[in-house]
This record gives sequence, structure tokens and C-alpha cells, in this order.
Amino acid sequence: MTRHHPDSLTLMEYSAGNLSEPHALCIRLHLDKCPHCRSRVDTLDSLGAVMMEEQPKVSVSESIFDNILARIDSEPAAETVQPATPRISPLQKLLGEDLNELPWKRQLGDVSVLDISEKFPGQSEQVVLQKLVAGGKAPAHTHRGNETTIVLQGAFADQNGVFNQWDFVVLNEQDEHKPVAVGCEDCITLSVLSAPVKLTGKFTRLLNPFIR
Amino acid sequence: MTTLDPKPAKPEGRKDPWSQLLDKVGKHQDREAYHALFEHFGPQIKYYAMANGLASHAEELVQEVFVSIWRRSCLYDWRKAAASTWIFTIARNQRIDMLRKMQRSSAEMLVETEDLWQIPGDNEDEPVTSLHRLMSERRIRESLSHLPEEQITVIAKVYMENKSHQMVADELDIPLGTVKSRVRLALNKLKVILQDQNV
Repeated sequence: MTRHHPDSLTLMEYSAGNLSEPHALCIRLHLDKCPHCRSRVDTLDSLGAVMMEEQPKVSVSESIFDNILARIDSEPAAETVQPATPRISPLQKLLGEDLNELPWKRQLGDVSVLDISEKFPGQSEQVVLQKLVAGGKAPAHTHRGNETTIVLQGAFADQNGVFNQWDFVVLNEQDEHKPVAVGCEDCITLSVLSAPVKLTGKFTRLLNPFIR
Repeated sequence: MTTLDPKPAKPEGRKDPWSQLLDKVGKHQDREAYHALFEHFGPQIKYYAMANGLASHAEELVQEVFVSIWRRSCLYDWRKAAASTWIFTIARNQRIDMLRKMQRSSAEMLVETEDLWQIPGDNEDEPVTSLHRLMSERRIRESLSHLPEEQITVIAKVYMENKSHQMVADELDIPLGTVKSRVRLALNKLKVILQDQNV
């Protein structure tokens, strides 16, 4: 179980560029709001730089540099990157302005879900948004495999504490909980579920972390 | 005269030579500085491509990385990252980008690689913490020299060969738990893990 912040091993896999796109998105959304983890990733990126420097050197032909110069000369100066103002968050690119307006599917009681796996073509994980209405309760449940979740809106609480916006949590089969949406907003989370070992039907399965 | 003091005499917060060169590229489009960076980092990036299975695209990756360095050099801020760290993250992103483009059409890519993997300094809201960041590469280099070989091997496979912890365990024929504990021990020495909370 990992709660509130990603663990160092996961951040290292992120820094190395080895995580799947949906997992990287969860980390990135957290990093944008967590200077503490951002600084851990800075250190890990520096570790990557030092590892790259420690490897054997191979020669690169000078003609490559000529090709590079030809490329940059043929491009208009406008091609240089300017800081985007304001930066559009990856979440907005994927899901639009208002998470509440998405075509939610009512599941059970206070829980609604939306499967967004198709937004990550070529990735094997199931990616799911879940919404628990403000003050709503999800039935007690456990989790199968590792399920990575980030809180996008509102907050939920269980016996282990309160999870606020941009908190990060990884749950597995040992973690039984009974989450409640706290605060005056609906709680919306993004979860990445490892591909099930045995196929149980993508759409028949009830979803975590609120409910299975 | 040589000195035994392991710490370089330069004051904290001053630019290392590569960061100075990168700064010149960003501010003055200095091609001599750009070429010096190419000579230093080009071979590292080529090896990186070869190690992670892109051998037939190694020089293509070097080109992509350098074109990207040129285009974004105006955003480079030496107080936010040392040049080598900044260039590593660009190489990482260009590698991911290359693989993504091989696997699918660009129409299918709703989010760009940089939406998922950040280049340090791109986020303007980020506070400048120069001291911490410029210290960290030197500290890492120093700490690495004290790590046992088995820990360095695991880290190298994760960063250079882009293997997951599970793949490293399979390849070295050791349990996943052993791989993770080697990484944890190393990160502990590198002071990354000390900052973990509730893990």
C-alpha cells in the first residue's frame, strides 16, 4: 500500500521513462502539485544523467552534426519552443474542461464510472474514472492486483485517512476499505488497473477504489 | 599542485561548464558551444539508444535530441537543472516519443510525451531551488562511487536498458524483492528514499 505520495521505486521507474502512459499520467498530475515529490524526481533525473555519463562512449560521426545544423537552419525561428501560456493540463486535453460533465455511467448507489482506456491506445491497462457523490459511501471492498489512483477532484476518506485532491494511492488485495466522499464536492478519481491475468470481462467488473 | 579535498573549489550555485555552454546556446544561439555539447553528449545519447534496443535508430535519436536541445534551449534555466540532467530528460523523452510514433499514428496520441514526462524548468511556477539541484549531481556522483557493484548494475539496467524491476529480476535470475531492496539501498544512499512518507 502506498498512500498520499508515490514511493521512490515508482518515481525511479518514472524518471527512467519505464512506466506506461496512464501510470506516467498519474505521477505527472501528482508532481505538478507536489513540490516534495518533484524534488525527489529532480534528484532521480540527475541520477539518470550520471548513469548516462558513466557508460562506455561510442563515437558519433561528424556528419550527424552537419545534418543537425541543416535541420535547424531549414526551420523557421518560430519552431523554437516558447513556454505555453497558460499551459493546458494533460487532464484537460484528455477529458475537457469539466469532469462533472463527462458521460458518467451510474454504477451502484453513490458510485459512477467512466472507462477511458481507449484514450491510451496500445496500453494494456484499464484506465477508469470514478465518481462518488458528495457525502456518498461506497460499499466495503478489497482490490485485486495493484491499482494506482489519483484524486482529481474533491476528497475521500477511509479508515487510513483522508485523500485530498492530487493525492496518490496504490491499493492491492490486502487493502479492504469503505471510502466516503468528504467535503462539499463529488469526489472524482483516476485509476489505472493492471491488466487482469484472467479475463473477467472489462465491463462486467465493478471498479475500484470505491467499489468492486 | 593536486588537492585531496574532494569538493571542487568552485562556489555553490555557479554553473558547471556544460551548463555554461547550454546557456550560451539558449541566449546567443552560439554554435561553437552547441558543437561542444554535441561532442560531449552525442556519444552518451548514442550509447543510450543502443543500450535500450534502438541500435538501428541510434544516430537518428542523437539528431532528434540535439534538434530538440536547440529549439528549447531558450527555456533552459541553469538554476533549475544542470545541463546534463536537462539533456538526460530530453533524451529520455525523445526515446519515448520515437517508440510511441513507431507504435501508433500521431492522431491517436491525445497527450504529448511532454505532458506525461516533464523537462525540468518547463513549469514556470516552479520555485528556483538552485543550490539543491546543482549540488545533487555532484553528490550522486560521489555517492555512486561508494555503492556496491550489484546495486549499480540494477540501476544501470533500469535507466540505460529501460527495464522494469521485474525484467531486471528475470534477467539476473534473482527474486523481485532482491532487486527492489538493492534499489532501495542505493536510493537510501542517494538520499531519495529518506524523503519518503508513509511508505
